[in-house]
Amino acid sequence: MRLVVTDDLARHRLTVFFRLLLALPHLVWLTLFGLAASTLAFVVWLAVLFEGTPPRTLHGFLVSYVRYSTHVTAYLCLAAGPYPGFTGSSDYPVDVEIGPPIRQGRLGAAFRLVLAIPAFLLSSTLAGSVALGAGFGVASLFLVGGLAITVGFLGWFAALVLGRMPRGMRDAGAYACGYAAQVTSYAFLVTDQYPDSTPGRLLRAPALPSHPVTIRVDDGLRRPRLLVAFRLPLAIPHFFWLALWLVPATLAALVGWLVTLVRGRMPSPLHRFLAAYVRYAAHVTAFAYMVGRPFPGFVGREGSYPIDTPIEPPGRQHRLGVLVRIVLALPSLVVYQAYAIVLYAVAVLGWFASLATGRMPSGVRDLGAAAIRYQSQLGAYLLLLTPRYPDSSPVLAGSPEREAEHAAEAALAA
Amino acid sequence: MMRSIAYVGVAAVWAVCAWVLAGSVVPDLSLPGVDVDAVFGRELVDRAEGYERFLYVVWFLAQVVLIATLAVYARYGARFAKESAAGPIGTGMLLGMLGLAIVWLTLLPFSIAALWWERRHDVSEVGYLEWIFGDWLALGGTFIAVCLALLVVMALARWLGSWWWIPGAVVFSAIALALVFVGPYLTTGLERTADQELQQTYDRYGRAQGVDDIPLRVEEVSGDTSQANAYAFGVGPSARIVLWDTLLDGRFSDEEVNVVLAHELGHHSSDHLLEAIAWFGLFALPGSLALMAATRRRGGMGEPAAVPIALLVTAVVQLALAPAQNVVSRHMEREADWKALETTRDPGAARGLFEEFSSTSLGDPSPPRWAYLFLQSHPTLAQRVAMADAWETRTARP
Repeated sequence: MRLVVTDDLARHRLTVFFRLLLALPHLVWLTLFGLAASTLAFVVWLAVLFEGTPPRTLHGFLVSYVRYSTHVTAYLCLAAGPYPGFTGSSDYPVDVEIGPPIRQGRLGAAFRLVLAIPAFLLSSTLAGSVALGAGFGVASLFLVGGLAITVGFLGWFAALVLGRMPRGMRDAGAYACGYAAQVTSYAFLVTDQYPDSTPGRLLRAPALPSHPVTIRVDDGLRRPRLLVAFRLPLAIPHFFWLALWLVPATLAALVGWLVTLVRGRMPSPLHRFLAAYVRYAAHVTAFAYMVGRPFPGFVGREGSYPIDTPIEPPGRQHRLGVLVRIVLALPSLVVYQAYAIVLYAVAVLGWFASLATGRMPSGVRDLGAAAIRYQSQLGAYLLLLTPRYPDSSPVLAGSPEREAEHAAEAALAA
Repeated sequence: MMRSIAYVGVAAVWAVCAWVLAGSVVPDLSLPGVDVDAVFGRELVDRAEGYERFLYVVWFLAQVVLIATLAVYARYGARFAKESAAGPIGTGMLLGMLGLAIVWLTLLPFSIAALWWERRHDVSEVGYLEWIFGDWLALGGTFIAVCLALLVVMALARWLGSWWWIPGAVVFSAIALALVFVGPYLTTGLERTADQELQQTYDRYGRAQGVDDIPLRVEEVSGDTSQANAYAFGVGPSARIVLWDTLLDGRFSDEEVNVVLAHELGHHSSDHLLEAIAWFGLFALPGSLALMAATRRRGGMGEPAAVPIALLVTAVVQLALAPAQNVVSRHMEREADWKALETTRDPGAARGLFEEFSSTSLGDPSPPRWAYLFLQSHPTLAQRVAMADAWETRTARP
């Protein structure tokens, strides 16, 4: 299964304004489609239990359903622009490619819904109610939450003003749609491949544009069970220290704000101190939320932890941007709340998985790292360490090709 | 030569301080023997003995497992150092916390057995899951204390080498004083009493003992336990006296509650909290010396690899010093009992209170000698009844 994103970010303001109303027929149809798909999924379940392979016709129907629910979800959260078709068979800017039916293990099929529970949990934090497939159609109107819905909500305002969907938000929405599609496919026995949340595996050549705050992941996946079992109590001294550190950090941020407002540049000593605070917060979050393995140090030194967020030295900043920084950061604070919920799910799932197997699932770990990267970028932006806005794409690292693409994109937009 | 002189000097100062602290306001009483069967009733004594016997066995087994676990951890625990990216002191903290976590895990069955026994005898009403989860989270608080202690010890050891134990004991005492001071400000769930009569009696006793500015608070614990208790905490402006609401649920008469009030006020009027910190400092001195000596082969307390062995030594020293610490604690409790009798002048109420304690908490009025030495931080209930009798005899004398 592969997520294909061909969206060009352009959005028509009129269809954006009435997006929810326009989607109503789809939501009704999605509900009916979902009921039929659920019924047929049961038939497919029986078929796989006896034959080991889903019948080709039923498989095709369920594939159409998964694609259709992906199209509708992408349309709703503004990850795509065009009005989707009603059959799930036509091409769409945010689409999934699913292969033909294959043999599936009977044991895995027998307990499929139970096995899918962790994926459902993660999916609900990514795509909100839509994740549980989109099978609930109209019901999704009355439920909120999840990264996709958050970026859809914020993207609505941005697209109305700009006529374009911000790339980071589009990527976040597309990623959430892709994961939801994987979960639905797995639950409906369209595939026996367990949903993979690794950022970058679903989206084609996903990458961040260059940013003064990046994330480096040099950690393995093994987790000693003793450190897993007592992860939360072990992190409490760090929480305590982090809370104490917040006091001088707040004072330093206030002083830094005044100085930057006057000079247009954050003084280096303050920048170093606040950067260490942001890095330390990232180290502690990584440890507490199971993303990192070792016990972190207490000073936030760069390179001292395998999940690290290097921060570039201070540069010039526009004074107006500095003056209203907290206001400008409000949308990213909302996105961060969505990422924080994702992090909770990562921690819970990672805790149980690591306790059972002694290993952290790579996809869950990388998703957590992406959330920490966003947290650090937001922290750096709020504390005036950088004028660059946080990038809401759920990806980890930049690549030269994509950076060139982004540069061209930016030039076009300008 | 210098080292020997220093040790002798420290020992001399220690002995003088201990002698000063050991003074008491309780006159030299030859306590009369108490017929526990007659005072508490044979049936209650049998029940309390049976109840305590199980807890003694659990305690003994837990101590064996604790020492064995820490011995194994002392041998292999340093391997966990590779799980840290926190530098030497941070790594020491991790090893300390992991040691406690392992101890918690190995002692869990004993704690659950004790809880089961308490629930069976209606002494506790806490659910198993609630208890385990609460205790697991409470580990976080213990971890903070351990981190703080290791920060002090390791930083001093890295700075001063093998002499860290002298300033270490002083710093520990200062930290203990700070914790005792801020404790009441951090404790939530304490309410003022609505009972005006109780408050007036409390104020009167406070004036009588010269501590009339200490607030009285009530803590709600009746959802968790049926045991009755009260305690004095804080020093100076943070001093408080707290009564559990189980003490006010009607099982104890007003006069008996008054004895409790006077007893807790006695702790404050005798400066027992400060005295306890001073004793803590005195005990910390030989304890720190033992730590220094035991960890020398692993590079001293400045090295994280020494932390697992330090945990073992701490546990052994604590066990070894428990009888001495209990002597000190009982000494202070005896003083508070005496002050309560002097204040209330009601030995009958004191006797009634101690008899009721035996019933509500199932405390053995006359425990075995070894349990008295290692576990009894208060005089036995029989001794407390005897003191009430002695006070009565003494005041009745012309």
